[in-house]
Amino acid sequence: MSEELRLSARETRGKPGVRRYAMVIDLRRCIGCDACMVACKAEYDVPLGVFRTWVPYRVVGKYPTVKKQFLPRLCNHCDDPPCVRSCPVGATYKVEDGGFVLQDYDRCIGCKACMASCPYNARFMLPEHRTRSNITSVVDKCTFCHHRVVQGLVPACVQTCVGRARVFGDINDPSSEVSRLVARHATQVLRPEQGTKPQVFYIGADRNMTEYGRDVYDAREALDDERAVFNRNHTI
Amino acid sequence: MLEITRRNFIKVTGGTTAAALAAPSMLRAMETDLGGRDYNPESYKERKAIPTNCHVCNIQDGAVAFVEDGRVVKLEGNPNHVSTRGRLCAKGNAGMWYSYDPDRILYPLKRVGKRGEGKWKRISWDEALNEVAGRIDDVLKNGDPNEIMLKYGRNRTGGVLSRFMNTLGSATVLNHTSVCESSKKVGMEPTWGPDIETPDFANTKYVLNFGSNILEAAYFHNPYSQRITEGRVDSNAKIVTFDVRLSNTAGFSDEWIPVFPGTDGAVALAIGHVILREDLQDSEFITDWTNVSLSELKEHYEQFTPQWAAELSGVPEETIERIAREFAHASPATTYTYRGPAKHLYGSYNEKACMMLSIMTGNVEKRGGYCLPRGMGYDQPQPEPPQPKKASILRDPPEFPLASHHVSHLVPFWIAEGRQKVSVYINYMDNPVYTNPGAEAVWGELFRNEELIPFRVVLTPFMGEEAQTADIILPDVPYLERWEPESMPNSLWPWVGLRQPVIAPMGEGKEHRVYLQELIHRLDPDGSRGMKKYWNFKSSEDYVRQQFENVPGLKEAGGLDWLKKEGVWPIYGKLNPATGKVSDKTGREIKAEYGLHKKELSRADMTGATVDEEGTIHKNGKAIGVQRNGRSYVGFPSGSRLINVRIDEWAEYGFNPMPTFKRIPWHENLKEDEMILTTYKYNVHVQSRTASVKWLAEIVHRNWAPINTETAKRIGVKTGDLIRVESPVGHLVTKAYVTEGQHPRVIGISTGCGHWGYGRLAQLKLKEKGGEFGAQEDSDLKNVWWDDKGVHPNAIIPAVADPIGGSAGWYDTVVKVTPAREGDRYGDVESSWDKHMEWYKKTMGFTYVGDQHRKMHPEMADWAGPDSVGPKKPSGH
Repeated sequence: MSEELRLSARETRGKPGVRRYAMVIDLRRCIGCDACMVACKAEYDVPLGVFRTWVPYRVVGKYPTVKKQFLPRLCNHCDDPPCVRSCPVGATYKVEDGGFVLQDYDRCIGCKACMASCPYNARFMLPEHRTRSNITSVVDKCTFCHHRVVQGLVPACVQTCVGRARVFGDINDPSSEVSRLVARHATQVLRPEQGTKPQVFYIGADRNMTEYGRDVYDAREALDDERAVFNRNHTI
Repeated sequence: MLEITRRNFIKVTGGTTAAALAAPSMLRAMETDLGGRDYNPESYKERKAIPTNCHVCNIQDGAVAFVEDGRVVKLEGNPNHVSTRGRLCAKGNAGMWYSYDPDRILYPLKRVGKRGEGKWKRISWDEALNEVAGRIDDVLKNGDPNEIMLKYGRNRTGGVLSRFMNTLGSATVLNHTSVCESSKKVGMEPTWGPDIETPDFANTKYVLNFGSNILEAAYFHNPYSQRITEGRVDSNAKIVTFDVRLSNTAGFSDEWIPVFPGTDGAVALAIGHVILREDLQDSEFITDWTNVSLSELKEHYEQFTPQWAAELSGVPEETIERIAREFAHASPATTYTYRGPAKHLYGSYNEKACMMLSIMTGNVEKRGGYCLPRGMGYDQPQPEPPQPKKASILRDPPEFPLASHHVSHLVPFWIAEGRQKVSVYINYMDNPVYTNPGAEAVWGELFRNEELIPFRVVLTPFMGEEAQTADIILPDVPYLERWEPESMPNSLWPWVGLRQPVIAPMGEGKEHRVYLQELIHRLDPDGSRGMKKYWNFKSSEDYVRQQFENVPGLKEAGGLDWLKKEGVWPIYGKLNPATGKVSDKTGREIKAEYGLHKKELSRADMTGATVDEEGTIHKNGKAIGVQRNGRSYVGFPSGSRLINVRIDEWAEYGFNPMPTFKRIPWHENLKEDEMILTTYKYNVHVQSRTASVKWLAEIVHRNWAPINTETAKRIGVKTGDLIRVESPVGHLVTKAYVTEGQHPRVIGISTGCGHWGYGRLAQLKLKEKGGEFGAQEDSDLKNVWWDDKGVHPNAIIPAVADPIGGSAGWYDTVVKVTPAREGDRYGDVESSWDKHMEWYKKTMGFTYVGDQHRKMHPEMADWAGPDSVGPKKPSGH
């Protein structure tokens, strides 16, 4: 992206001298094994009821011509993140070098403005009870595994991705694998019309999937049932 | 608003990152490490990494455990492991919860009150071992050692359990293979030697997958899934899956072809018919490497027309014709099977029919083809106890002479018939009350019967359904606390690995080797009974060290000390962050060896050998190879060194020795409202042990039954409606899940859910207090939000057995599915011992001595009958 096309001062894709981490999710390789979901739970001691990354799926077609499609989801680490704009206390911030959108737990007052502003439902409130961590009752989200990336490691979900569908790297570096994948393949981002400049790019997603209505997650009736149960039993 | 500058970033992330930040171009995508290290996300402190071997299921991935303050907090694949390549599946990522299960048993227990009543008393190890030793001693002194029975499920002890039973002199050792994949094994072993194939998915152009859900479960889920995605994206392979339901594998495939349960074999035979009819086979391979001629094969396949298969299977004729041509023209191509074809009354025939396609197209042992498994072994510490002198009729039932992996799921009926007395039942990592056909109605009944089973000792850390009927529970330990040697042919590269304790055994838990040694030492304190000498090792580490002492190459590299550091041997190369593949020193991907059957015999091998007119090379009364075009090859590890398309041994017992198909008789003339019940696995669960693992249970905790949209319309149900599923042996009440991804004549009910044991989370009894047996509560369980634990199907599945391979016919049950009746409640399960007994008798009728055998094999009219064959020697498996 050229300098002129950058609309917001916050955007760092294409900005010289800084890294802009991005993820490419190649849906041709996603087998829906959910290893990423569980690796993420372990990495952060993520409590039950919430996910930093999750893999909705849907069944498309009419018997017997039917396919199953998976759409791994996580925070898009937007280049122009609305959550950062909406946070009244500066608890949500973007790291210029790397582009990570992070959460400062000490500053968070739990007002959920960021949750409301995120078009991707990528943020959640931490419950009171956790196994090991004592960070509770504040908003949390995917960090692109900031603590691993700064040590030269890929995020935990990428690390364990069985089909190698998730690829991570610096999209400001033209020789990185993510740059090459984005250059060579037609990619999509979720909800481009929101102007958030998502940095999670999908290969092989068709518009039927990325217009991710509720039906992507499960059969409508099953979904309604689980939602009702969740609302009844999940107290924060 | 706070803007984070580079300076703040450094402050936030701490000093350790300063060096990396100083050189931004050094940090590149995927050129960053793919694993092997991990850090705490709050303190940024490095976590301690210890290599081990995963054992949540039986794929046996190399793993790395990350330990923080003495607790395993994260698990990853071992990046040095040639099959695993640093990755683990969802189950493997959650394995630490076996150790930290708040309902885990951390000290020995003795039942108080009636068996199965659920009342327990904590006892000391001393008391527990004395009681068990006393019971065993009594049998050894006053009875037959075979009265001591051991049944294991997931046995990865590396020979410890056999050593124990051989020391006692008992041959009554039962496995769980007949509920797993035994007819697959028995279809393959007499054909080409090994019990499994290793398809080279990464390099293939076409995969014909018959009934394997490899992307969610099956051998070898994680390593094979990695290679299948490579094959599909990097090699442009086409994947075609025959299955009754849209599994993740079927949904990922280029084509899902629904097939009527149990008819995969007919489809495979018809594909073979088209290939041979159109002369698309590899004639040279058939002539050189099989025990039939091309003309024999062509003639034999003439009967299996696509029209015949289409009528049986519901797969259109034109689809069969098209797939046959595609498969035969793709090069290389491979078939792959798992439980779909094999878990039926005549599963062995189905398996054989499927593997014939790779054989007749000459795709065997080729790059991108259907390869032999590559294994690597380890030793047993010396001296070893001899095999028991007397066979056990429970282990080697005379009606199943070809079932080399036994028929364990019929054992309750045989015990009830009084075939063999069982005085002590030892239960290791095996939960037949949950996992076997009949479930509670069969195994629960058996285990509660104190006359049939006077004493039951269960070796387990969990209060599973099988442990609930124990007399004594010895607290075994989960895999992260054990020493075990490991090896598994889960890629084209052989390896040995080490499972080592990454944390010390918790509570009073002990591993098998330790308490079994203590038992033997109690039975033979001074060595006078001749048992103690087999159990003289100093420690588990010492025992395992001896097992790796003579592995060529590893010995020089440091033996066990190497494995403690690296987890696996050999290390074939480095995991390349740019490709995710293993690279050699030059940076190129390592290459597998192909054509194992074409390895040439050495001059020394040939000394004293004779060659017969067929070209078979004999030495010392054994076939050692095959001579072709003047060269002496080692051939296949079958008795004849060829691929036995014709299995003569089968004919001895009146079974068809050639590839064939038998329709399940009770599947003929189904009524309009009758369907077939099949079970399946979810991506995040193993058969029985993961419902108590919170991260997995959160993803899948209920198993509403998938039912085709049109069928649901006919029955008048929609998703979430209560349905009643009635089989000949009982009924259950569950909920419907209406989907396009399901065969209209098939209802699926997954295993893995619906526990009535295995701790509070599996049963959703979270209001009860945790830590009943000494473990620490997990406060995260307060966040459990789901209230549906699912319904378990096994009680209404009768115990069918393949008369050849002995496999349970899991997918043969005819059921009626209706909307629930008044009074039906979700989770109702009704069944009875008597009804299961009836079906057991029915299935015995199909054995070679049974009354249905001849009727099912009109083509074998010349067979001289069961009296023409003598009793078979017990097998060594």
